[in-house]
Amino acid sequence: MKDVLKTIDLRKTYKRGKVDVEALRGVNLRIREGEIVVVKGPSGCGKSTLLHILGAMARLTSGKALICGQDIGNMSDHQLAQLRGRNIGFVFQKFNLLPTLTARDNIEVARHIHGVVGDGNDHNLADIAELLRIQDKIDRKPAELSGGEQQRVAIARAVLNRPSILLADEPTGNLDSRNSEIVLNMFRELNRKLRQTIVLVTHNPDLTAYGDRLIEMRDGVIVNDNHF
Amino acid sequence: MNRRLIIAGLVARPVRTAVSIMAVALEVILILTIVGLANGITYDTGRRTEGVGADIMFQAPNSSLLLALNNSSLPVALANKIGEVEGIKAVAPVQIQVNSSSGLEVIYGIEPKTFDQITRGFIWHRGGMFSAADEIVVDDLYARSKGLSIGDPLEILNHRFKVTGVVEHGKGARLYISLKAAQAMTGTANRASLFYIKLNNPDQLNEVVDRMEKAFPGYRILPMKEYTTLMMSNYMSGLDAFIQIVVFIAIFIGVLVIFLSMYTTITERTREIGIFRSLGASKSFIVRLIFEETAAVCLVGVVIGVAGSFLIARGVSAMFPTLLVMITPPWVAKASIFALLSGLIGSLYPALRAASQDPVEAIAYE
Repeated sequence: MKDVLKTIDLRKTYKRGKVDVEALRGVNLRIREGEIVVVKGPSGCGKSTLLHILGAMARLTSGKALICGQDIGNMSDHQLAQLRGRNIGFVFQKFNLLPTLTARDNIEVARHIHGVVGDGNDHNLADIAELLRIQDKIDRKPAELSGGEQQRVAIARAVLNRPSILLADEPTGNLDSRNSEIVLNMFRELNRKLRQTIVLVTHNPDLTAYGDRLIEMRDGVIVNDNHF
Repeated sequence: MNRRLIIAGLVARPVRTAVSIMAVALEVILILTIVGLANGITYDTGRRTEGVGADIMFQAPNSSLLLALNNSSLPVALANKIGEVEGIKAVAPVQIQVNSSSGLEVIYGIEPKTFDQITRGFIWHRGGMFSAADEIVVDDLYARSKGLSIGDPLEILNHRFKVTGVVEHGKGARLYISLKAAQAMTGTANRASLFYIKLNNPDQLNEVVDRMEKAFPGYRILPMKEYTTLMMSNYMSGLDAFIQIVVFIAIFIGVLVIFLSMYTTITERTREIGIFRSLGASKSFIVRLIFEETAAVCLVGVVIGVAGSFLIARGVSAMFPTLLVMITPPWVAKASIFALLSGLIGSLYPALRAASQDPVEAIAYE
């Protein structure tokens, strides 16, 4: 299986006033197609920064990062945006749904940004809504949905364009244990049915059971990389 | 989908949306009513001056086309010399005064006999010509707007007149007093502001003008057709400057309001922009979305503004029959374009600022 994500001596330094903060200090990583990888570590260890770079949301300071074989180091902002829209789906802790739109419109926004015109009634959306069990909530606004339902809508939005990579930053951080289990099982189901590579970033040790591989980070470097 | 995004964004912030729409509407109303009023006054003045029926207007050197701005510098006795020029049938001296205490009213001081030779006489609605210095004739629109009847008193330029007649509008001024009364009020005995001239044969206009220019070098000798064309076509440089200032101020207000509105919106919607960016939206997508939202606000504002301007024009005509607010299709188009442009200019910086936000920071914005 080919590598969909690869980093070589990846470094990221932030400027905080006059102080340089090294968030990533030489990360070497290869993630293969179809893997579910859990990235675990304490707060501030650099796992979210790594996720943002792997999702073409943040720029690296030095080293290399390849997404689907493409080196993002010298890409323009427009190229990064295109790469994000085509290859990557994001799921966030706070769901990040647009409160003024219905669940259906929130999901379709991803496709609209990607430039695909839908009639709001197509099979892909219906399939995904059914897979995530939100088909009967599709015309509700986020405020009318539970936290678990909101996160499932966010996942539907992330996978609608069938990206090859799904990146999730503390996806169960705002959910109770029952909804967390539902959401995590859905990640497994998506991985099985849509063959997506999934990277879950968390500090919750309970999530490790849902991955094929556990990467532990501390102080901006990978300290453990275990395949199950 | 863009339409749904825009509508959702506008509906989610109803007060901000309403204020922005009203600001754009006010910008359009400001342009259309003030420009319409300025154009209406000059057009109406030109039309009424044309209605005098003269062939030539004779003014002192360096006089203004805005007749009311000229002082009374022509000796009335000059009328006799002008009358000697071959081809001239009648010469009527007129002294023009302006009363600005209740609107802008032009008063003609006339000699009824010579003025009638030019105009072929007034069309009388009621009453008759003044016969004393404290008597006044008014036109029907003025009488209607002030509710005047024959015998009513009328205070003009600190003088009390008695209305003796009401005539059909359209012959130069709205108020007429005797030339001697006008001269006495301004202390300019035997002086006039201009002469209206009637020719024996209007077809010989150019020849007569040539003769007059030779006989009276330096004076402004203007065929009436030329004068009315100038007045009705907004070729007047002073008026143009005034209109440009009004339009500039209106656009400036529009730019500021839209800027403030979109700037605060962008700050409020930082996380939303971060979400779009995380979904693969390019900078140009964000800029386009904000421009389209601004354009929607401006379009609604333009429609309300144009409709409001026509309503105001009708209201002004009903309340002040002597005022004409002239809203023309070219100015409706100009005001609409100006409003749209000011919206786009006002939203340019907020749009660029939104597009250049760091996606990671934007999505973490609380």
